[in-house]
Formats: sequence, C-alpha cells, structure tokens
Amino acid sequence: MKELEEIRNCLIEMKNLSSLMVDLAFSAVMYNSEDIADEVYILEEKMDELTLRVKKLALRAAKHEENPEKLLSVIEMATINEQISDSAYEVADLVLRDVEPHPIIRKIMHDVDEEIGRIKVNKGSILIGKPLKQLKLPTKVGVRLIAIKRGGRYIYNPSKDETIEEGDVLIAVGSGIDRLRELSNERGEEGELIEEE
Amino acid sequence: MEDFEEFEYQPKSVKEIFIEMKNIVELMVDLAYSAVLFNDKEIAEEVLDLEERMDLLNYHLMTHAVLAARNPKEAEQITSVLQMANSIEDISNAAGDLAKMVLEGLELHPVITEAILESEEIIAKIQVSPDSVIVGKTLGELALASNTGVWIIAVRRGKRWIIAPDGDFKIKPGDVLIGRGTHTSVEHLKEIARGVIRVVGDERA
Repeated sequence: MKELEEIRNCLIEMKNLSSLMVDLAFSAVMYNSEDIADEVYILEEKMDELTLRVKKLALRAAKHEENPEKLLSVIEMATINEQISDSAYEVADLVLRDVEPHPIIRKIMHDVDEEIGRIKVNKGSILIGKPLKQLKLPTKVGVRLIAIKRGGRYIYNPSKDETIEEGDVLIAVGSGIDRLRELSNERGEEGELIEEE
Repeated sequence: MEDFEEFEYQPKSVKEIFIEMKNIVELMVDLAYSAVLFNDKEIAEEVLDLEERMDLLNYHLMTHAVLAARNPKEAEQITSVLQMANSIEDISNAAGDLAKMVLEGLELHPVITEAILESEEIIAKIQVSPDSVIVGKTLGELALASNTGVWIIAVRRGKRWIIAPDGDFKIKPGDVLIGRGTHTSVEHLKEIARGVIRVVGDERA
C-alpha cells in the first residue's frame, strides 16, 4: 500500500533526525553555538512537518487495514518523536536567548580549543569527491563529522564510505574547524563569505 | 561475582553532570528505538532504569543551579538553566514513553519494525565470547570505530552499565557491547565478537 510505504520512509527519517537533534542540541549548549542552535530549529520545523504527515497517512492507511487500531502505534510513535524534537529544541534555545548565560552555564561550555561549526563545501574544494576513509579528517585535520547536510537531507554519523559533494554542509566538531573551513573553500574564490540558504 | 552498585559514580561539577546527561539521553533515545525494533522488553526496561538515573542527574543539576543564585539578576539567569533541565527531562521521558510502548504490549504495526531496520544506522547488542580476539584489549587499542565502523555507545557488564566507555576500557568475556553502525559493520563486529573472524581491521590479531 502506498501510504504504508510513505509512513515507513517518514519514520526512518524521523528516527535519524531525532538522534541528530539530541546530539546537536546538547552540543549547541556545550560549544555555545548559535549556528548549531539554528540548525536544531530547522530540524525541529522539519520534524513537525513529518509528524503531521505521518499522522495523516496513518489515518488514511487505517481505512484499508483489517485491524485499524494497529496504526495507533504509528501515531503514538510520531507523537513521541515530536516530543523529543520539541524538547531538544528547547535545550538548544538556551543559546539563542538574549539573557546573558549564568556563570554556571559557562562552566558547562567547552574549553576554547574545541569548537563546533557548520561549513559549506564550495566549488574548488579539495574535499569534493573524496570518501571520508581517504580524508581521515579526525587525525589529519582534527575534526569529527557529526553530520553532512546535503540538500534537505541529513546524513547522521556519516560512514567511512561516504563521499563529500559540492554544496554539502558539514557539521563538525574539533580543534581544526578553521582548517576545515579552508579546505572546504568556504569563502569562495574572491574571499567572500558565500551565503547559506 | 562482583557486586557493583548500579551507579557508584557521583559526578561533581556541573559540566560532568551535563556531559553525562548528554550521553545518557542519547543512549536512551537509541535504546528506546532498539526496544521497539526488537520488541525487546529487556532493552525497554534498561531505558526506564536510565530514566531514573536521568532524574537523579537532573536533580543534581537543578540543585547546583538553585545554589548558584545569589541575587535577583542571577535568579533570572538561573531560570533558563532550570528550563533547560526541564527540557532535558522531557526528552528522557519521551524515550521512556517509547520504551513503555513495548512494555505495555501495544500492538506494533509491522511498518515500524520495517522503518527501523531500514534506517541508515542500527543499534545492536553484541555479546563478547571468551574466544574473541577483542577480549583483553582496550577500546583505544582496537579503534573499533575506524576499524569496523561500529561505535560502542555503552557496555553492559553483569548488572552494571558503562556508558560512553573511554579508550582505556578493557573488554572482558561476557561483556555485552551496545554498538551503533550500519548493518554490515555491526554484523562484521558480531562475527569478531563471536570469535569467528580473527582479525580486527587491517591489524593481524
């Protein structure tokens, strides 16, 4: 059935996004990063859309099921996913508030030698077309990739075989973020910061 | 049989508490999904145990926060810390709710299991046999993440949980590793843990 196929795809995406959101929400606070908190906000909106879609699909699918109540589990799961996503956003929101963080929050925040960043890979970057296992970013550059954002899609904890493409946004943490920005050719050829959409 | 306290470690600083909360919440979300996937009540119970641990950590975090307010301005700042603590607890409760779907025997639609099996990454329990080449080695030596593509997010040893084990952690026979990775990489590590494959990565064992 078409609805079930679509539900399945939505649930897969929701599961991946919720793990990513929790990771990023805490990281936003630990690294005091508004950039990452913004990303969590984008993810939260995406999750809301997905939740609504799954619920609608489940209701439609119920019409064809012999035992429609089974679809309650799908609706329940979508609701819980949404709760995780909403709460994760509230955690990240701490960084976005105007209130100056209390010293107690500063204590949580990471030492200055590590930071987190969103980095766009532009045309001409030497990273393009190379699989992660070849790049060895953790040892050679000193960064760990949390996720790759490609178009509207997120690849959470990318595997070693994943290849970097032009236009990818890398969400990375470590001491070599500046180096990664250079390698990504983030500033483009004229040295101007290229706007992210 | 060693008799461990379930959680003997008392974190001291706010930062330690926060990092432990991050690790536990991530683990809870992962385990909760696995519980639904395998329709496994044992894993679901673990999620609820961890939820209790989270409640305790949250209590510690809030105590720290409340004690830190020395004047009205600080009290205002502290409210955002408390709100955050509250939101963290909400995430942990949501993971608990997911686990309860399994424990309460809610009839799961097959599409749920299919979805989780197809997601890019899975969580798996990996039992370490005494014959495996990884026994007696530390996680640092093994570098499982780079050699096999599986992240060890927790280890169950007897009744005790070790969350986010570090590089010095030494694997013992009977340990149950909770690993996150793709299907292929998890299956590969299972074979290693069973003692069928005698090599980890390129390294000869």
